[in-house]
Amino acid sequence: MASRLIYPLYQMGNPQLRIFRPPFFLTLVRPGKEQPPDVVQFRIPMVMTKFDVRNYVEKIYNVPVGAVRTRIQYAQPLVIGTNKKRNHLNQKVKRPDYKVAYVQLAQQQTFEFPDIFPKKDVKSAEGSVEEMQEKFMEDEEQRQKPDPRRGGVTEWFGL
Amino acid sequence: MAATSAGRVLTLCRQFQNACRISTTLSAQQSTVTLTKGRSYPHRLPSTLLSSSWSCNLDLAVQCRPLHTTISRRGLEEFFDIPENWGEATVKSGAPWTAKQLRTKSNEDLHKLWYVLLKEKNMLLTIEQESKRQGQQMPSPERLKKIDRSIRRLDTVVKERENALRLLQTGQERARPGDWRKDVFGRIYWYRFREHALPWYMNRRYKRKRFYTPAFVAPHLRLRLEKYLRAKTRKQKKESENQAVLKEKFPQMQAKSQ
Repeated sequence: MASRLIYPLYQMGNPQLRIFRPPFFLTLVRPGKEQPPDVVQFRIPMVMTKFDVRNYVEKIYNVPVGAVRTRIQYAQPLVIGTNKKRNHLNQKVKRPDYKVAYVQLAQQQTFEFPDIFPKKDVKSAEGSVEEMQEKFMEDEEQRQKPDPRRGGVTEWFGL
Repeated sequence: MAATSAGRVLTLCRQFQNACRISTTLSAQQSTVTLTKGRSYPHRLPSTLLSSSWSCNLDLAVQCRPLHTTISRRGLEEFFDIPENWGEATVKSGAPWTAKQLRTKSNEDLHKLWYVLLKEKNMLLTIEQESKRQGQQMPSPERLKKIDRSIRRLDTVVKERENALRLLQTGQERARPGDWRKDVFGRIYWYRFREHALPWYMNRRYKRKRFYTPAFVAPHLRLRLEKYLRAKTRKQKKESENQAVLKEKFPQMQAKSQ
């Protein structure tokens, strides 16, 4: 439909509301607390309901969905308990609340949140600027290291 | 929600077509425009690739007929990038879709593209949130901006088409009916209608919202008008004084400088 959706009034007997081109975006998040293996946690827009989430995931991602549970998370200020957080202009700030959906997969499927930032050994290209910089940094570090023959004793102690 | 229907026809991107030429018994009239799905080629096709890949099918339709495959079975993996890109510092992506390019596409194409962009945006949001969680930098965060722009432009194009259709069929200029009304402060504004289950004279909340100006507001209307006129003349005077000063300094100046 559009970015600014106006839902038509529903009265009994009206046809099922269908939204073409839904402007809703889901974020898959790693669960903060331990969840069962078949549960996937999403951050969804506030206006979405359990039925919306179910249809969304089933139709767009082709994933069979069992149960959906939602809750609204109040975005607490970083100092929990107060509402006195102010920014550099001395204005009161509040981070937006968001809705969380716990989607349980059907057909005994499981999902484990993967590690998207694995450590990769980056070898810079030969003759490139990065390689020269890295080499320079390594040399500097080597120069700063104390004499290994002193056996860990600092220079302060003379001799 | 309306979804991409079954029976999709894969579009082979230019790279894939160069890699393998396939001739099938399918007729050339079969629709050759859809989005690419499935992992049949090594690298991911970013949804922001230019439309050249879509139009090249017509040229190569003779040598290379479209391939009919099953729909993608990646499921929840589509919330993440391809595993080759995990841990990279930057991920290459193309330019966003421009409105001009989108206007050349058919409605079905735009509909499918919407879902491609939607899934891409979901993927980027997932990566962004995870990067915040892990304290790492998200690879190529400019992709989010590109996707946002593409989505907005697609919306604009679809709205334009809907507007045109509505104008031709019914002559209505606006999709949502409205009216010029006065508010309590005497200002005239465009009030957009809402749907109600009751008639207006039975709607208590609606009746509390006054669409007329009470009598005691009339003196303030005049004062507001005077204030506005004063500000306007002040601005015009300042502008002309500025021009006069500049004219004195630079006598040969002709064009009005900002």
